[in-house]
Amino acid sequence: MAATAAAVVVRPVTPVQASLWSDAWRRLRRNRLALAGAIYLAFLIVVALVALVHTPYPMAGVAVATPYSGPSAAHWFGADNLGRDVFSRVMVGAQISLTVGIGTQLIILAVGVPIGLAAGYFKGWFDSIVSFFVNVFYGVPDLLVALLLVVLLGHPGLDKIIIAISVTRWMDMTRLVRGQTLALREREFVEAARASGAKPFKILFGHILPNALGPVIVQATFGVPAAILFEAFLSFLGLGVPAPQPSWGSMAADGLSAIRIAPHMVIAPSIALSLTLMAFNFLGDGLRDALDPRSRR
Amino acid sequence: MPTPILQVRDLRTQFAADGGVVKAVDGVSFELYPGESLGIVGESGSGKSMTALSILRLVPDPGRIVSGQVLFRDQDLLQLTGEEIREIRGRDIAMIFQDPQSSLNPVLRTGFQVDEAMLAHGRPKRDARSRTLELLKKVRIPAAESRYKDFPHQLSGGMRQRAMIAMGLANAPAILIADEPTTALDVTVQAQILELLGDLNRELGTAIVMITHNMGVVAGLCSRVLVMYAGEIVEQGPVEQIFENPQHPYTWSLLRSIPRVDALRHERLRSIEGIAPDLLQPPSGCRFHPRCPFRIEKCFHDEPRLQDVAMGQQAACWVMMKRAREEMGADKLIDIRPGAASGVHPGEIA
Ligand SMILES: Nc1ncnc2c1ncn2[C@@H]1O[C@H](COP(=O)(O)OP(=O)(O)O)[C@@H](O)[C@H]1O
Ligand SMILES: [Mg+2]
Repeated sequence: MAATAAAVVVRPVTPVQASLWSDAWRRLRRNRLALAGAIYLAFLIVVALVALVHTPYPMAGVAVATPYSGPSAAHWFGADNLGRDVFSRVMVGAQISLTVGIGTQLIILAVGVPIGLAAGYFKGWFDSIVSFFVNVFYGVPDLLVALLLVVLLGHPGLDKIIIAISVTRWMDMTRLVRGQTLALREREFVEAARASGAKPFKILFGHILPNALGPVIVQATFGVPAAILFEAFLSFLGLGVPAPQPSWGSMAADGLSAIRIAPHMVIAPSIALSLTLMAFNFLGDGLRDALDPRSRR
Repeated sequence: MPTPILQVRDLRTQFAADGGVVKAVDGVSFELYPGESLGIVGESGSGKSMTALSILRLVPDPGRIVSGQVLFRDQDLLQLTGEEIREIRGRDIAMIFQDPQSSLNPVLRTGFQVDEAMLAHGRPKRDARSRTLELLKKVRIPAAESRYKDFPHQLSGGMRQRAMIAMGLANAPAILIADEPTTALDVTVQAQILELLGDLNRELGTAIVMITHNMGVVAGLCSRVLVMYAGEIVEQGPVEQIFENPQHPYTWSLLRSIPRVDALRHERLRSIEGIAPDLLQPPSGCRFHPRCPFRIEKCFHDEPRLQDVAMGQQAACWVMMKRAREEMGADKLIDIRPGAASGVHPGEIA
């Protein structure tokens, strides 16, 4: 029995790969910049979580230090115009940035993936409507839409910012998933699934989506820094999170008028923001290379 | 005569194209009996796949089934709602495709995909795995437990096709349609897969519709065969009879072009003289007449219909091989074909 089995087994000579994902993970680890980005982001997430329960000084605590005073042992990043500890505020700012960045991408995934799948798979009138709205939203300046929404939604707040950014940034993901679906629906395994009596829901989420997951993950990873930057920009314009909530964008704006006497007020949040944007972009690049089947080695 | 499990009546499937319609399936009628093994044979483009896909209503856009009936257990599949036909697919009539590499989802584990085929028809999740393992063993996949966890790219072509067959059999369907299931495989693996299908056909009583362009495959597996040309059935009957006594010249040329296992690769691909018909503007009269070595005047304008030529055998031809031989002398007829010197004479086919 064992002998016959051994004789019949004909295996390809390629080395056994545990799975497509472990393969991608192996390639990602080899990419230094992506790895550095991932480590920085892990660190940032820890900082944001710590800030939930503890900051060296209360983030809204006025006059804990001399206003405009520079970095010191007690106040690593110095103090702002109201004598608040900039380091504590940058920590809370990390929370806000990550919440906005990840929150918008979750909403965009929740909206863009099902809509893109349905549009690409069913085509027809639904696809026409989706494509129409995608083009309309691309045509309207996103700042204008975000401004309108922030005004219309009433009091500013983190949730409104997230909604406003999602509304202006859902199209890329939708278009990506639609395009992937259009290509994948013609693949033979989708026809085989249909022939086996699979329900459309199963075909979309069980067969097509798993094959589009790589590009979706990459798109979402690049979407995070874009949303963070947008939030910082809105806050810089005074349309973001309300004071005394410290967004990196509003902190930089506060510091701008005092840039000559207290440059650290601008520099600290700007560096935090730049590093975060860079880290996400490096990670996104690394994921794109790692998940691209053509780059498989 | 037992009652057929599937009756296809005057099926017509067309594609809208620039400058007309492509009649991919043009008035096809046949029966399939329970437990039978039926071959559908014809050159590439003759409408075999579209016939099969029409039965399950899976014709790709812009194709449309424009008329006909597909009676399965006395209900017309063409009249069912989308949900009803979905229930039939994979449960009562399963289908497997040419390329097992692309018919399996590359990112899902092989065993999981067999599970899914069962779950699609409401079998309890609980026993899916053990039944899948049983199926993998039944299709003779060695070390089924570890193959269950493999991704398709980790399997060989033959193993993948076995896994596809396991998926097809997951719900013990009454009919398994296999569309060129061995074309993408090595010759030795082809033989194994055909043997497996034959055994499953006998053991499980699943009726098999074997679609192929290779008469040799039909000889090994089927008891009855339909020969298709340009969207039509031009000959049908019991396999032995057709091999001994093909009546349509097209069947005869298909028999001449059976690939030989011992031949060189390029020789095995030898095909029939002349070019395949343009289905956008099919030839007048008999669609095979431009390529037919035995054609007579009538073949140019009048379309022949299927008529009985022997017990259970029908052919659509004005001349028929028998008469061609008797009345005109086959040798003379063969001479008009290009490169016919090496050909087999009609009477010599056994
Ligand atoms: N997507 C399509 N668009 C237009 N015509 C098609 C399409 N698919 C198939 N056809 C037509 O249908 C005919 C039969 O195709 P098919 O059933 O796949 O042939 P077979 O399986 O016998 O090789 C082809 O000759 C072609 O003209
Ligand atoms: Mg085909």
